[in-house]
Amino acid sequence: MFKLGKLYTLLLATTILSAPALAADPIKIGVVTPLSGTYAPIGQQVRWGLELATKEVNASGGIMGRQIQLLFEDEEANPSVAVQKAEKLFESEKVDFLTGTVNSGSTLAVGQTAERAGKLIATTVSFADSITGDKCSPNVFRVNARAGQQSAALAAWVAKQKPKAKVYFLGPDYEMGRSTVATFKRTIEGLGATSVGEVFAPLDSKDYTQYFGQLRQARPEVLYTSVAGNDTVRLLTQMQDFGLLGNLLVVGASGTVTSQNIGAIGAAADGFTTGVGYSTQIDNPGNKKFVADFKAATKADPDLYGADSYGLIYFYKAAVEKAQSTATDKVRAAMADLKWATPQGEKTMRAGDHQAIQPMYVVRVNSGKFNIVGEVGGDEAIGPDECKRF
Amino acid sequence: MTSALEFIQFVLAPQMITGLSLGVAVVLVALGLTIIFGLLDVINMAHGEFYAIGAYLALALGAAGINFWLLIVIVPLIMIPLGYVVERGLIQRVFNKPDRHVTTLLLTFGLSLVLEETLKVIFGPNTQRPPTPIPGAIDAFGIIMPNYRLFLILLGFSIIIAVALIVNRTALGAMVRAAAFDRNMAASLGVPASRIYAGTFAFGVALAGLAGVLLAPVFSVFPTMGHDFIFMAFTVVIVGGMGSIGGTVIAGLVLTQVQVLSSLVVSPVWSDPIVFSIMVLVLVLRPQGLFGRMGHA
Amino acid sequence: MRSASSKDASAFLAFDRSGLAMRASHVLVVILVVAAFGFAAVGAALNDTFYLRLATEALIFGGFALSVDILLGYTGLLSLGHALYFGFGAYVSALVLKETPSFWAAMGAVLAATLVFGFITGLIANRVRGVYFALVTFGIAQVAAKAVYNTRALGASDGLIGIPIVPINLGFMTVMSNAPVAFFLFTLVFVILLYVAAAYLLDTSFGRILGALRVNEHRVPFLGYSTHRARLSIYVFAAIIAALSGALYPMLRGFVSPELMFFTTSGNAVITVVIGGVGTLAGALYGSVILTVLKSVIGTMTEHHLIVIGILFMAVVIFLPKGLMGVIRPRIARRLRGGAR
Repeated sequence: MFKLGKLYTLLLATTILSAPALAADPIKIGVVTPLSGTYAPIGQQVRWGLELATKEVNASGGIMGRQIQLLFEDEEANPSVAVQKAEKLFESEKVDFLTGTVNSGSTLAVGQTAERAGKLIATTVSFADSITGDKCSPNVFRVNARAGQQSAALAAWVAKQKPKAKVYFLGPDYEMGRSTVATFKRTIEGLGATSVGEVFAPLDSKDYTQYFGQLRQARPEVLYTSVAGNDTVRLLTQMQDFGLLGNLLVVGASGTVTSQNIGAIGAAADGFTTGVGYSTQIDNPGNKKFVADFKAATKADPDLYGADSYGLIYFYKAAVEKAQSTATDKVRAAMADLKWATPQGEKTMRAGDHQAIQPMYVVRVNSGKFNIVGEVGGDEAIGPDECKRF
Repeated sequence: MTSALEFIQFVLAPQMITGLSLGVAVVLVALGLTIIFGLLDVINMAHGEFYAIGAYLALALGAAGINFWLLIVIVPLIMIPLGYVVERGLIQRVFNKPDRHVTTLLLTFGLSLVLEETLKVIFGPNTQRPPTPIPGAIDAFGIIMPNYRLFLILLGFSIIIAVALIVNRTALGAMVRAAAFDRNMAASLGVPASRIYAGTFAFGVALAGLAGVLLAPVFSVFPTMGHDFIFMAFTVVIVGGMGSIGGTVIAGLVLTQVQVLSSLVVSPVWSDPIVFSIMVLVLVLRPQGLFGRMGHA
Repeated sequence: MRSASSKDASAFLAFDRSGLAMRASHVLVVILVVAAFGFAAVGAALNDTFYLRLATEALIFGGFALSVDILLGYTGLLSLGHALYFGFGAYVSALVLKETPSFWAAMGAVLAATLVFGFITGLIANRVRGVYFALVTFGIAQVAAKAVYNTRALGASDGLIGIPIVPINLGFMTVMSNAPVAFFLFTLVFVILLYVAAAYLLDTSFGRILGALRVNEHRVPFLGYSTHRARLSIYVFAAIIAALSGALYPMLRGFVSPELMFFTTSGNAVITVVIGGVGTLAGALYGSVILTVLKSVIGTMTEHHLIVIGILFMAVVIFLPKGLMGVIRPRIARRLRGGAR
């Protein structure tokens, strides 16, 4: 009896003593992402990417011995809901870090909430230049490539393929669509191309055929588009039905053709070219393993959203390990100029505007695969730091 | 001179022809809506979701190997019991309440939320698309027109004429119109009014499903596709006169032409506000719509 | 149209009893206020932020639902685009606050701007009745929301961020809009004042005209009242209630976005009112609390919460046409009548 009592005391003592060292409580990462609504397919990729990386990190001992716990909340692609859910995760669940927002409105609004709560967030999807530009925040980081990086890579490639090309622009009529077109137009005109017309179609347009007349009359060699999701399915398949894809080089934004809609677009996606921060075809061992694991876990190919979300967990891990803390100020300082490994290779977080620098790829679709046809170095694509707040 | 000709050849003529195919699509969706309103006095907010269900059925059955031509028949047949059950199980329960318009509108709004989300649970959030049943395109005088769209215009008109004949020329249609005009009178003359109501609702739902089958290859399939045509369909039904088949057809074709032609002159973003303004104008000047109501002609 | 006489009679009965029913609503609102104070006390003791601010949001949307109920419950007009005014108030408030962080300036601007905006849009919407009204209000809101979505000066699709924390000077004290307990209580008082204003207005002779309008629109002109003017007035009044509620939103959250004007927001308010109980005013406030709790609980369990909410909503429409209040309020009314004896 005595022995047992002593053992019990001993056990108790070790438990108490080792509690802080074991740090049994996990590191909580909040994920506010659209699981329902228009952007649900993107939210799905975000979720898959984060879950895969978390599983890997946890299996190999977590971050500084602490396991990562992901807490998901559906933001319904609505900034009002996003902010409410972010506040829940910050105040009620006391998460250490937050990510997942997709539309730039949500990222900006949640970034402000984070600032007021004294927490850090990162987006892995939003590509509006403003997030790390004129509306930058000391508490917001972006690990994915922004619109400007994508345009720079694509424009350089187009200018090489078709020097002094006649380019036609077709964008969705809202702020993001217009600014993406404007950025690409400026870049490509700077490289000697001429613009022969532009049209902005409402979001969720049913029928793009009504713009085909103007398009044919303008006789462009290159069509640039920044539509996304269902809109791309309709645009490209309708162009195929009308036989317009034959002698036209179709290029566009990174979100125009993704693994979500490529199945529905089918052969009409062949030849489509874009500047993007990720492709499953990137030839390095890290990416090969990532693609295989992702497929095994989800039965789907990762796309740029899945890959960047996957890389984010490693970004946070590297920062916390460098800071040896999860405190906001220490982690923020550690994130500045941090280099970390991702499926795309090494990325660098620029301290001046919290924008990740990474090599950009020009990928061209062929039979449902995103083949890399060009590459632009990270420093060439990144563009100037326009953040003035910090 | 060449540029004017080129404008007609490249822009104006194709614009009007593709506008026609869009118009037929809108009318196909609006047809069931107008019949349901004309007879039951019910605004079916879930009509777009029935259209989506038709498209998803076509997609799923098509993937299971059933041929497209068979789907045109099978899918509406599956939709009929669904519509019948919805009318009997939901609409009839509130049919005799004082604010029928508002109550049924609310009820079908709730139904639309549930149906849309259910489609997402079953089929996932991603866009899908069945293969085009008739590939290829015709190139006449430089005007390109895909074969399937031409087929859609022809079949669409056949369906419209068939529906108009059923409603206006058959004994069944006469009963429907009688019930629409005065339910009690029709019932006392031996018309099985409640079964006619459920049957008509089911017919409208089946038409929505048929529209889903036919339009899926052109406009693709995704859970929120029900929102796509619904506002335009409502506009067409209101402008044409709730329940008037002829009015719906004319309004559908004219309004889509207004939309495609106005987009040549002003930014396409304005095409919705323009059509909407026409609707408000018609409502103010002629609240019963341009062509009056079913059973009241 | 059919069986018009029996409909008149039943609606008239409901109207006749409204005095007692409204008093029951007042009692329920008092209960809500007491519960809210208890909630605030617990929240303060636990040093909570999230739940207090969530409850504040529920109250703000309750104020918005109140305005939908004014239209639907008292004139029978279902607006499917009422978020237009909620969003309008939020945007005007946000724009003023970005210039000068003054609560009263923002409220004054919202009031004045909504008076004009509500009047103009009301002229269009009130040309039509019934289902057409629902579809026209839907259309107006769609067009306006799209315009905001495309206007760079209003932040376009990104919305406006950076709305400062606002000190609300009440004379005897100053409430900061980021103080969870104080701003919750302030919002409570604010929304209750909106409720009182609505209840008072509907109890005046003007309110009785509205009741008469609902019962039989064609007879009202014979009583010497202009139906058009009465409908327009109540429309503008409802717009102002919605806009004033919306004006609080950027103070709480620090941003506005075009989604505040979208159909989802309008639809949510309609669901709120129907679940709470149409034509009861108190139901709008209770409905908002219930819906917020439901969404918060179910939303964490599944991303398919719309199925649950949709089914609940349909069940209420079929089985509880007077919503939650239809179950509770008669009991209170019976007690009140018992007490009067």
